[in-house]
Amino acid sequence: MDSESPRKLRILFVVLSLLVGVLVVVAYYKDEFRSWKVYQKQYIQDQIRRASTPQQKAIAEATPVEIHQILLPKLNRVDRCTTCHQAVEDPSYAGYPQPLAYHPNHDQHPFEKFGCTVCHRGQGRATTERGAHGGDDPLLPMKYIQASCAKCHEAADNPAAPMLARGAQIFYTVGCVGCHKLNGAGGSIGPELDHVGEHRSADWLKRHFLNPASVTPNSGMPPQHFSKPDLDAITLFMLSQTGESLGGFYTSMKVIPSAEEGRHLFETKGCIACHQLNGVGGKIGPALDNVAMRRSPEWIMQHFRDPRSVSPGSVMPKFGFTESQIRALTQFLLHLNDQKAALSIPSLMSPVERGRAVFRKYGCAGCHGPDGKGGVPNPNSKTGQLVPDLIHVGDGYTKKELIAFIRRGQHEIASLDPKKPAPPLYMPAWGDKIKPGEYQDLAAFLFSLKPKDDTGF
Amino acid sequence: MTPEENNDHKTTRRGFLELTLGWTTATAAVAASSAAAVRFLMPNVLYEPSARFKAGKPDEFADGSITFLDAERVFLLRKGNTFRCLSAVCTHLGCTVNETKTGYHCPCHGSVFDEQGKNVSGPAPKPLSWFLVTLSPDGRIVIDKNQVVPADKYLVI
Amino acid sequence: MKPSFLQRTWEGFRDTRVGRSIFRVGLPGSNLEQARAMVSSFLLHMQPAKVSRRALKPTTTLGLGLISLFLLLILVGTGVLLMFYYVPGTDQAYATMKDLQYVVSAGLVVRNMHRWAAHLMVLFVMLHLCRVFFTGAYKAPREFNWNVGLGLFLLTLGLSFTGYLLPWDQLAFWAITVGANIASYAPIIGPKLKFMLLGGNVVGQSALTRFYALHVMVLPGITFLLLGIHLWRVRKDGGLAAPEMPVDLTESLETGSVPSNKTYGLMELAKGTSLQVGRDPEDEVFSWPHLIFRELLLFLAVVAVVLFLAIFFNAPLEGIANPIHPPNPAKAPWYFLGLQELVSYSAFWGGVVVPGCLVTALALLPYLDRSRKGVGRWFARERAVANTIFSLCLVAAIVFTLIGSFFRGPSWTWQVPWKTPAAAVSEEH
Repeated sequence: MDSESPRKLRILFVVLSLLVGVLVVVAYYKDEFRSWKVYQKQYIQDQIRRASTPQQKAIAEATPVEIHQILLPKLNRVDRCTTCHQAVEDPSYAGYPQPLAYHPNHDQHPFEKFGCTVCHRGQGRATTERGAHGGDDPLLPMKYIQASCAKCHEAADNPAAPMLARGAQIFYTVGCVGCHKLNGAGGSIGPELDHVGEHRSADWLKRHFLNPASVTPNSGMPPQHFSKPDLDAITLFMLSQTGESLGGFYTSMKVIPSAEEGRHLFETKGCIACHQLNGVGGKIGPALDNVAMRRSPEWIMQHFRDPRSVSPGSVMPKFGFTESQIRALTQFLLHLNDQKAALSIPSLMSPVERGRAVFRKYGCAGCHGPDGKGGVPNPNSKTGQLVPDLIHVGDGYTKKELIAFIRRGQHEIASLDPKKPAPPLYMPAWGDKIKPGEYQDLAAFLFSLKPKDDTGF
Repeated sequence: MTPEENNDHKTTRRGFLELTLGWTTATAAVAASSAAAVRFLMPNVLYEPSARFKAGKPDEFADGSITFLDAERVFLLRKGNTFRCLSAVCTHLGCTVNETKTGYHCPCHGSVFDEQGKNVSGPAPKPLSWFLVTLSPDGRIVIDKNQVVPADKYLVI
Repeated sequence: MKPSFLQRTWEGFRDTRVGRSIFRVGLPGSNLEQARAMVSSFLLHMQPAKVSRRALKPTTTLGLGLISLFLLLILVGTGVLLMFYYVPGTDQAYATMKDLQYVVSAGLVVRNMHRWAAHLMVLFVMLHLCRVFFTGAYKAPREFNWNVGLGLFLLTLGLSFTGYLLPWDQLAFWAITVGANIASYAPIIGPKLKFMLLGGNVVGQSALTRFYALHVMVLPGITFLLLGIHLWRVRKDGGLAAPEMPVDLTESLETGSVPSNKTYGLMELAKGTSLQVGRDPEDEVFSWPHLIFRELLLFLAVVAVVLFLAIFFNAPLEGIANPIHPPNPAKAPWYFLGLQELVSYSAFWGGVVVPGCLVTALALLPYLDRSRKGVGRWFARERAVANTIFSLCLVAAIVFTLIGSFFRGPSWTWQVPWKTPAAAVSEEH
């Protein structure tokens, strides 16, 4: 414009224009060079090399370099993982190093319907390795991948996810629900666990189990002494608790029906009228305790569809179960032996056995130890800094008094040293959370804990 | 102010070059930014159904069936062990055609196509397109709407 | 002098019928043309044909108002681009942020530019306000324009605050939750104000829709209206405030007659409404090219800074908004942290009385401080009292903001910024 302006300003003009120009160029390069393009070009080169016919070669050469994505609007997900992981569906890439490895076993979960992040987590929209694998929602380590099965499948008895099933079993056996709420059931001494898998890492969970106070100062939770496989399993189960709501999408999927559902069906359909289980029930049909050893799952399922088709002369009627109900009942029958206690029929059990189930259901073992044997620390409590065991509870109370005490609870626990913090664990008031029948059974169980040869005081 | 500024008319050749360089760079930066803005507006990913998609396994479609895939607006035809894929987008003004006993009919302006997708009456200027049907390595039907093929080209399984 | 290629191209275009229809004046050669270049162009006529040498000196204003204006222009440009991708829905807003980051060409840099320019604009509007105070430039006849400027300052805060929510990440969600609750402390109207602003009781889809409408339509509209008045008044109130300004403009405006011929260029020189009156013409230079060229340099500098920040520092984007897991501490945007700090002592005093009094005092200031002394000079001795009071308030605001920003940890307890608090390691319960 003006050559009249003083020299200094002209120089400044040149410098600033060049600076803006250079910055625009830098911005362009930073934007244009993205790592996924490198991976795509490598894959295309590989395809050209592998091409056996000129036609295949032409197709490979014409492949555009662009972002690939799987749209899952019903899940509000967009997975761009295949932008780099291009060979996930090509078996000839089995065993290749990432990002070009083939993904085995995806028949049941086709990528175009499930995407990637539903199971693997991570950030589906990201197109950089760091963004996709790390960040706010990091990739789920492969060791814990079964945690994702629980989004659609029952945790308790999924044969395809044994670690998840084991984790669930541990969770409900060691009595976590005594203090923690999960799926709306459980105590309130510790925090709810419905979303724990969403914002806690495996590493954090493990450290927390072994020594809760090391990651959560002032935590009153007693350290848990798990074996290494058990620790992995319970960690995996915790990771599966994401509270993610997948909406109506998965209700259309083939969810594996649970043995728990089967148990319920078995009871309500009155199977016990004809069949024996644990020595209880009718004798028109055969006893079913060992049916899993005698028959294949296919045979059992076919038998439910039409008894006479596999067992000519059977008098069992066709019940007209749905396929899902048949699967559930079959699961129940197959799991009778592994998980007898968890899946048995309450009406067939003695009050003491039912009481043991109640003891387990409400997580009493979490504080009072397995079968009430005690040993759980409660720092600074007068009772030897331990939560009292329940072996001799029958000596101090009548059943009625015991039930009244459990209902009322005991919020204040006497301190050994009044200067130190109060003991973290206390007896919650169970009130109506435990049902009246359950109280009776629980009392029966607790009274049965006294050793037979023990004469008391 | 510097004395130089008062000396308005003594323009050195160097000052002139400086200004030219400054203006050229500034103009180039403006042009590059405008180009970047245009590039910004060109989408790199689409949220519409992909032109190349998987329709499922061959045995999900019965022999002799014509299946309308609504998200992608195509008909998938199976006859014996052959598959073909016909566009359901009318060649007149882009409405979705319906299947009839004798072929296809467009509800918008009454174009009629025969079973081979040929336009027989109405305003449609050309036949419906047939798309390339292939099989993926994992055994699923792949339809590519970017590749138009003659009506007699089949996927044989 | 040989014309350059650019110059020849320009002259060639200018000489066509079309060129002449658009540009009335060519590249100015004579003094008259230099004056006409300014007044005949829509974009340039906001500025006078001639300016004093004093006005050109960087130390006079530090160019703070102009920098704010340039930042606003950058914000409009990048903001319009962002609107092409952004969806103001709670289920999609965050996803579009991710798309901008990972998929859209230049998406990240455009968003970064918008973010940094927004923060800078808040900062520079504040600095501009301080400059006007410290040079006593709010005094008659600029009382009204001071208040227009104050309105623009509040609008800038409003624009920044409404824009803050749009990414719909944790930072956005909780900053707006906290900020909206500060608003609810206002007496009587407070809760209703919050209810209306959020379109409900909590930050959700209605809040997002409202903030979006405010951010892209309502507030920019009002801002440009006020900005037009602000710039127009700068001219009509006699340009930059200068020492020993001679006239009370109201008087000459009332008595002056409107000339019938439209030689505005000459009118600028002759009529008594501009700063040139009573000045030595030797002290003045033509705006074209002296002022315009310097403004161009400033614009390039602002663009360079914003571009630099945008390339090398990414705008923050945290995890998607999650009403179940508030971060601890949840903080408002930085320019409200002083307020948040005050609110932590007393909701009523901090959230209502102090900010209310400050804004009222600033609005009334030019009507209360009627002395004509010390106008147009930095930190004039005659204004020692006013400057000291203002400085104390300023220092207090800065101190509270710094405390809120750096010295407040989880649960708003004291922490020192160079030490990670123990509670940050774990926030269970």
